[in-house]
Amino acid sequence: MRTPTLLLASTCLLTASACWAADHAGIVKTLSGEVSVIRGENSLKVVPNFRLQEGDQVQTGPGGKAGLILDDDTVISLGPNSRVALTGFAFHPAEKKLSLVARIYRGTISFLSGQIAKLAPHQVRIETPGATVGVRGTHVLIEVEGS
Amino acid sequence: MVHVLRAAFLVLIVALFTACAGNKTLVTLAPDPDGKVGAIDVGNEAGSVAIASAYQSTTVSDSTKRPEAPVQLTREAVEKRFADALSIQPKQPVHFLLYFDKDTTLSAASSKLLNDVVKAVGERQAEDISVIGHTDTLGSAQYNNELSRRRAQAVRDLLVERGIPAHNIRVTSHGKENPLIPTSDNVYEPRNRRVEVDVR
Repeated sequence: MRTPTLLLASTCLLTASACWAADHAGIVKTLSGEVSVIRGENSLKVVPNFRLQEGDQVQTGPGGKAGLILDDDTVISLGPNSRVALTGFAFHPAEKKLSLVARIYRGTISFLSGQIAKLAPHQVRIETPGATVGVRGTHVLIEVEGS
Repeated sequence: MVHVLRAAFLVLIVALFTACAGNKTLVTLAPDPDGKVGAIDVGNEAGSVAIASAYQSTTVSDSTKRPEAPVQLTREAVEKRFADALSIQPKQPVHFLLYFDKDTTLSAASSKLLNDVVKAVGERQAEDISVIGHTDTLGSAQYNNELSRRRAQAVRDLLVERGIPAHNIRVTSHGKENPLIPTSDNVYEPRNRRVEVDVR
């Protein structure tokens, strides 16, 4: 059991920043009002430059708004009463691992696609309750009526 | 037994999600910041629609009904409807491309460009900076990746010297897989042999 742990630890030492990058998907760059990030069971307080991971959900309250920048330059912004999950995110061109799946539960969202949409257009999709949006390099605005 | 319960729970979750699928959804295409208009398709189990012009939009009532035929909206109407989300949209990340005279020595022009990087970090109060090594498609992948990583590391060190905290910088390599100028394999292309600094 020791060997894999040691191996992992030494891989991390060799490529310290790559390890740090492994679960990094983007940041919350701008925000106003009530904004939180749901990670697993926890609701986290958000400040500018908050680091997002794959799987995080960003939620805004009645007076809240937030702007996210993902590692591949994708820019997502949320109006009030909105909830978006970063269901899948991989931006590792060297290993040809590229994918972006965002799920919108409710609210108003602006989505400006980045490099993943350029390098692997079919790997970018936005899921909404009623349909899936395939994005081939562009700016999309989506409104999902709340529940 | 646990598996059965877990399966039943999953079915319940899926059923709940499907039940919520009544939330009416509006999808609109808008121009990119540079004015270019891309393309999207909006689809579900009942069918899909393609949209490729600015401010065309479709609505979807639930996943069992095909998205409506696209309708042309005005720019004003769309901007009003999405005013809150658009008002908080962060500036797109800025990219700097650095080139080398040899090995890990920056060219004079790229050396100067480091000042602009530091300035951008200050202006944006950026705490998320990527330093990415890129190669062209010539030569062995191993040698190229190794060199591009050493170059990226050298740039990172220069940024740290100029006061950018090391913990805000991530160093990676995209190898030949994210070229500035797409080429076929085994092509010498100096413009692709670069280190990119992204400031968010």
